[in-house]
Amino acid sequence: MGLLENWINKGRLKSPWVVHFDCGSCNGCDIEVLACLTPVFDVERFGIINVGNPKHADVLLVTGTVNHRNKKVLKNIYDQMPDPKAVIAIGACGTSGGVFRECYNVVGGVDQVIPVDVYVPGCPAKPDAIIDGVVTALDVVKAKLGLGEMPKVTVID
Amino acid sequence: MQSVSGDVHPEVSRLSFVLCYEVRMLDTLVFGSVVFPLLAALAVYFVRGDAARNIIVPVSVAITAAAALGLAGLGSFSYSPQAILGISLNGLITVLDFALLGFIFLIALRMGNLLIMGLTVLQVLGMVYLDFFLMDHGTQVTGFYADSLSLTMVLIISIVGGLICFYGLGYMKEHEEHLHLAKSRQPRFFFFMLLFLGAMNGLVLANNLSWMYFFWEVTTLCSFMLIGHDGTDEAKTNATRALWMNMAGGVAFVAALMFLQKSMGTLSVQDILAKSAAPGMKTAALLLPMAFLCFAGFTKAAQVPFQSWLCGAMVAPTPVSALLHSSTMVKAGVYLVIRMAPAYQGTMLSAAVAIFGAFTFIATSALAVGQSNGKKVLAYSTIANLGLIIACAGINTSAAIAAAVMLIIFHAISKGLLFLCVGAIEQKIGSRDIEAMRGLFKVMPRTAVITVIGIVTMMLPPFGMLLAKWMALESAATATAAMPPLVIMLALGSALTVLFWARWAGVMLGSTVPGENPPSEHQPFTVRLPLLLLAGGAVGLSLLSPFVYSMLVAPATALYAKATAYTVSMGVFENNAGVFAVYPLFLLLGVGFVYALRAAKKVGPEAASLPYMGGSQKVVDGKIGFNGPMNGFVETAAGNYYMESLFGESKLSKSINVIAIVLLAVMLGGVL
Amino acid sequence: MLTFIAALIGLALTPVVGGLLAGVDRRVTARLQSRFGPPILQPFYDVLKLLGKAPMVVNSWQVMSAYIYVMSSALAVLLFFMQGDLLLLFFVMTIGAVFQVVGALSVPSPYAQVGAQRELLQMLAYEPLIIVVFVGISMATGSFKIADVYAMEKPLLLSMPFLFIALGYALTIKLRKSPFDISACHHAHQELVRGVLTEYSGPHLALLEIGHWFDVVLILGLCSLFWHTSIVGMVALLVVTYAAEILIDNICARMTWPWMLKNVLGVGLVLSVFNLLWLYVS
Ligand code: SF4
Repeated sequence: MGLLENWINKGRLKSPWVVHFDCGSCNGCDIEVLACLTPVFDVERFGIINVGNPKHADVLLVTGTVNHRNKKVLKNIYDQMPDPKAVIAIGACGTSGGVFRECYNVVGGVDQVIPVDVYVPGCPAKPDAIIDGVVTALDVVKAKLGLGEMPKVTVID
Repeated sequence: MQSVSGDVHPEVSRLSFVLCYEVRMLDTLVFGSVVFPLLAALAVYFVRGDAARNIIVPVSVAITAAAALGLAGLGSFSYSPQAILGISLNGLITVLDFALLGFIFLIALRMGNLLIMGLTVLQVLGMVYLDFFLMDHGTQVTGFYADSLSLTMVLIISIVGGLICFYGLGYMKEHEEHLHLAKSRQPRFFFFMLLFLGAMNGLVLANNLSWMYFFWEVTTLCSFMLIGHDGTDEAKTNATRALWMNMAGGVAFVAALMFLQKSMGTLSVQDILAKSAAPGMKTAALLLPMAFLCFAGFTKAAQVPFQSWLCGAMVAPTPVSALLHSSTMVKAGVYLVIRMAPAYQGTMLSAAVAIFGAFTFIATSALAVGQSNGKKVLAYSTIANLGLIIACAGINTSAAIAAAVMLIIFHAISKGLLFLCVGAIEQKIGSRDIEAMRGLFKVMPRTAVITVIGIVTMMLPPFGMLLAKWMALESAATATAAMPPLVIMLALGSALTVLFWARWAGVMLGSTVPGENPPSEHQPFTVRLPLLLLAGGAVGLSLLSPFVYSMLVAPATALYAKATAYTVSMGVFENNAGVFAVYPLFLLLGVGFVYALRAAKKVGPEAASLPYMGGSQKVVDGKIGFNGPMNGFVETAAGNYYMESLFGESKLSKSINVIAIVLLAVMLGGVL
Repeated sequence: MLTFIAALIGLALTPVVGGLLAGVDRRVTARLQSRFGPPILQPFYDVLKLLGKAPMVVNSWQVMSAYIYVMSSALAVLLFFMQGDLLLLFFVMTIGAVFQVVGALSVPSPYAQVGAQRELLQMLAYEPLIIVVFVGISMATGSFKIADVYAMEKPLLLSMPFLFIALGYALTIKLRKSPFDISACHHAHQELVRGVLTEYSGPHLALLEIGHWFDVVLILGLCSLFWHTSIVGMVALLVVTYAAEILIDNICARMTWPWMLKNVLGVGLVLSVFNLLWLYVS
């Protein structure tokens, strides 16, 4: 079984399927996430596929702040991702609440609701930083699997 | 199979005690299959009371089934009883014929239905002409003749039909409780059910066509009585429709009798088939009556454009539908078409029959796609399968006839099962709509699984139906006449079949949390037993399909064509055109299936999740839905695509009927 | 016995070939879109990863269906390599297709339900074509046995070019390529969420993916029967066919199911009838 386990681990690091959840973003960050899929950035090089369904996803990309209305949805989507999985908070809003932080209805950053593995700040975050974030998230997964060291930097800027 | 000469030839019977014993045996067995059900029917009718009925019905169907098994054990025979209780049988049947027609005329008179009266009068006139002017009463016609085709039919009728009657006991009790009847009408119900079995047995055993005609009309009458059993307006209308359509077939039957008597000088099926084999015999004189007989068969088998009577028959209590669809009535129609197949082999009539059957197959499969009413889907699928059987009879090669007989056997079991399932479901959930059966597994786990088994045996390999369909398709490809349109229709029709079965099976298997079992269900014993037996039979008999083939089907096809249809060795069917490896497939698929089941069992509740609903999934009172506007709960609703705009009855029926009538006209006109 | 062992080896190699094909397909598609594309081995990474994920299902029927799907697809491929009966292997393949739909329908998920209905319509579109192609083959060779195809002297393509095009329709649908990728398209994120596959995840999705590879190889195998006389011709035919599929995928939009039914059954069946008549006459 050791061989198969090795192969599976290899697959885990080479095939991060992402699901993108817009948690109240101004759409600035969303556009940047989608830009990653264009031929200019072509994330499929890294085996990244943008799927529409948390059940198929390995990495959750969250853009925007969490508010009281959608925190349950965020949690639900996270819960519907089968293990192993990773979460990336994107943009100033995702990391901390950003410009909306003090609003009456805002809970704050993504990590207020679910555990976040990698932060990609910026307003909006740059596509290359987002890609870097996904690749870093793979390192986090690798570390969690006990196959490597935890990356020193989990905040990409 | 051993062959017994049952002709009561005095010298022979005196010669050998064994033979004598067998003849007496034959007497008893034929009596047990044909006349005994009538006596039992009279008994249930006159001995009222639940307790008596609960004994009479099981015992008498058991006796009939035993007689059927006994007959099958004896093998093919020909047998001419001359008299019963000193009355000449020929005379008796003639008298009964007229009595029956008179009775139907009275019914029509009471309803004021001119059409049926006219059709009855036509038959009476025909019979008078036949009996008093045409018939040479000096010639002997063997009364009963059985080969493996008839014996197969007898087995199906007596066993599957018997189980359905048994199921009727529990079903009708509940049915009448629903209706709050002042006086139970069950005696009448079971009278006709049992009579039906006897008449069907008589029909398939009869060698004398005028006897067959008598039994034919008895089944018409029984179906009319049973369809109208509940006495509602709808039931009455539909029963009337069934009556006139079948009487139209009856007229064609009488016409065929007259032509045959005139041109062939005999009404013995065996003599006609033997004569037709001679070269140069297949002229209009023979083919015209054959076309009429086929037409009669089409009406009875509810082929387009007569499909509406069988669909309307669903208003009757479920055991009736099950009986009509699986083992009796409609099977009489295809039986007649197959029985006469050698007489029109290699003619244009045969090609026309094939095309007509294939058209029914595709047309009614398409109609079934547009239905969400479960019983209607079953009804259309029955008609489609009968169409396929008729197409096989029309293709008329040994492989095609084998396919037809296989279809009859396996369809009877699976379809009987499915009707009984829908009946049980309807009594529990109060609906026969497929949409209402969504997630049925949570409510009736056992029945849901049995229904799915029934559906799977209808449509997937390695089960018997699919084996038969495979034979049908492969023999269609080698058909000599009209092949391209034939195969296209069969291919398209079979794809449509997959569509409506698969989605029905899917919706019934509803959600339960993995690792958790739904509460077990309770059913009356008389309902549960037939369901289990038929489900077991559908799977088990498929497993035995090589034996079924070599014991029942191959001898039946041998009577039709010299060439062997398939050689069977180690459970592998093979001929020049193809191979179907039943046992290897059963083995591999079975192992795979068990493995799949075990894998499914292994997944525990920790793997449970709700369906994906954009992250707002929610469960309220055990219902799955999502958190909708204003924080309100919205239950998910889904519906199958029934595509009424493409496959709706209102959309298709008219053009289907027109095409069917044209095809029939071409068929009848073509022989002239 | 020897054929059986050879068939088993073929069966074992099939997922490898299927995965590689999918990899090449993704790479070529990326190039057509002026992207670089994933590694050729990417489909294997995907499936391995999925196999390693925690199972997550709504009910156990899904698990059963996923297993039955792979099993029946593998069995169909085995029958192909055993040079068995064309019609039979097609029916065996249908088992898997039906159970995939049954599994999806057993879940009260709107996406899975819509996907399942569409999958059924896709089956309705390709099944008659495949059956008719087989009938054509049986007319040309006299039987449905694959062994008899190999006994032919001339390639089938010469006598049944139109049926080959009809088979191409079926291939496009089975490959889930545009314009017929209506039941499980992963480009339709929000409307369909992979449709019939929505509720299958992790290892069970991996099983369906492997089953899909079996199916693709099987249909390409059927295409290969059209030029059985030389390996070069066979490979050339397959390469051209697959390249055409990729091209069509990239230049077409996803269409609706009524369009699909009309187009596939209309054009496909007319082509088939034409070709059947041709075979019938000759
Ligand atoms: S970080 Fe900036 S661009 Fe991104 S969602 Fe927030 S406000 Fe918009």
